[in-house]
Amino acid sequence: MNPRKFFWRVLSVVVAFALWWLSSGTIFNPILVPAPHKVAVNLWEMTADGEILFHAWASLRRVIVGYAFGSVLGILTGVAVARIRIAEDMLEPPLQFMRNITPVAIIPLAVNAFGLDEPSKYFVIIYSTIIPVVFNTAAGVASTPQIRVRAAMCLGAGRWEIFLRVVLPSAWPFILTGLRVALGFAFMGVVAAEMIAAESGVGYLIMQSRNMLLPEQMFSGLFLLGLIGLVTDRAFQFTIGRLMRRYMLQTAAFD
Amino acid sequence: MNWRVLRLEGVGKDFDRADGGVAQVLRDVTLSVERGSFFTLLGPSGCGKSTLLNIVAGFEETTTGGVSLDDMTVTGPGTDRTVIFQDVSNALFPWMNARENVEFGPKMARLSAQVRKERADRYLRLVGLDADGGKFPFELSGGMKQRIQIARALANDPDILLMDEPFAALDAITKKHLQVEFRKIWDETGKTIFYITHDIFEALLLSTHLAVMTAGPEAGIKEVFRIDLEEPRSPSNPDFAAMFSRVESLIDEEVQRMRAR
Repeated sequence: MNPRKFFWRVLSVVVAFALWWLSSGTIFNPILVPAPHKVAVNLWEMTADGEILFHAWASLRRVIVGYAFGSVLGILTGVAVARIRIAEDMLEPPLQFMRNITPVAIIPLAVNAFGLDEPSKYFVIIYSTIIPVVFNTAAGVASTPQIRVRAAMCLGAGRWEIFLRVVLPSAWPFILTGLRVALGFAFMGVVAAEMIAAESGVGYLIMQSRNMLLPEQMFSGLFLLGLIGLVTDRAFQFTIGRLMRRYMLQTAAFD
Repeated sequence: MNWRVLRLEGVGKDFDRADGGVAQVLRDVTLSVERGSFFTLLGPSGCGKSTLLNIVAGFEETTTGGVSLDDMTVTGPGTDRTVIFQDVSNALFPWMNARENVEFGPKMARLSAQVRKERADRYLRLVGLDADGGKFPFELSGGMKQRIQIARALANDPDILLMDEPFAALDAITKKHLQVEFRKIWDETGKTIFYITHDIFEALLLSTHLAVMTAGPEAGIKEVFRIDLEEPRSPSNPDFAAMFSRVESLIDEEVQRMRAR
């Protein structure tokens, strides 16, 4: 990063904190919207006694399980939609309908169907993940250049080899874009679910803190959420950059 | 495989049009291509040359007639016929480096790593890119990519190379070099070439046989020539020039006919 860019970026953070600090006690009631330094103290205390880690891990664990299932299921469904006529005809209508129902709206149904424990959280995350993965995968598979497939045919590749060695690699940039969007959706889904029905997790922490009039703790939860999202997205990009770099050569840099 | 003649007999091709009608693209195309020849199909744009090549490649089915190698009917794509496409950026596998692209055919044929390496070395050297095997397509110029595609096709050891205007998208200088080099490669490898172009100069520079197509729709073969020009071929040779104007007038006739419609 060049010094000019660095300067403006640091300044933007400073300005954000300054606005927060100024508004607390002037525009907003300082008891409900505490100043940044009070939140910092709380964040430190919660980190020290392990509460932050407890809630962060609770949410993260749910996301890992739900996201893994949702991704695999989404890729398989997307491939089926793009490659199998009957699958397309059977799955397009429900998928087109489902994509309009936001994950937050599905939470009450998830609780009714799967109870208050982990399964309902998994369901919400899988639901959040699957939609972007399916549509991106299907688009990627369908947009494989015809002549690339034909070239592979001339070179002796069979149906299965064409799929694994040509169609799937051609679709990876699309699939990975879907997976990255889905990762963000998964966190939105889990936090919302935790706010409504849970006894752990970042969403629970935020909601519970508000109810118990502990606004510093509520802010700590928000900060944690931003941090987890940022770290996981960066980790995702880093991993892709390492493992999948050659598949990204066909498009602009993944950023 | 052992065969003597690639035959196209009464090949016709209809396409369903968007308005519900039927477009007759090719009609009654009959050609014989002898093994080892450099056979060029020349015709005005949109006359169905590529469709014919796709039929020989086995990508598309005929509506009437058929393609055969001696008595064996062509029913689909096969490793005996390898296509070299004009759109080389999509034809190559962008996630494989040059060497991996060239080794793809041998890999599909389950050849050992040793043999694959030997093939790749040999054909990368033949196209003059032995030092660039580790580069990915996005790091190569259009001309270099086309060399890789040629090496990849040859490493597959087909009987026939089907070439769909392979040099048309290249700049004039690169094109000229590749034409000359490719003619040498053909001399060395002795493959049968089925070549498509709309460039008369290129056709006369490269081919042993030349078929001129009539304008579409319902395109067919107007005339077939054997080209016995003095080697090395040169446009300053009077026979070359005479042949050029003769072919040009045939093409002009077809363009006129198409405009008159």
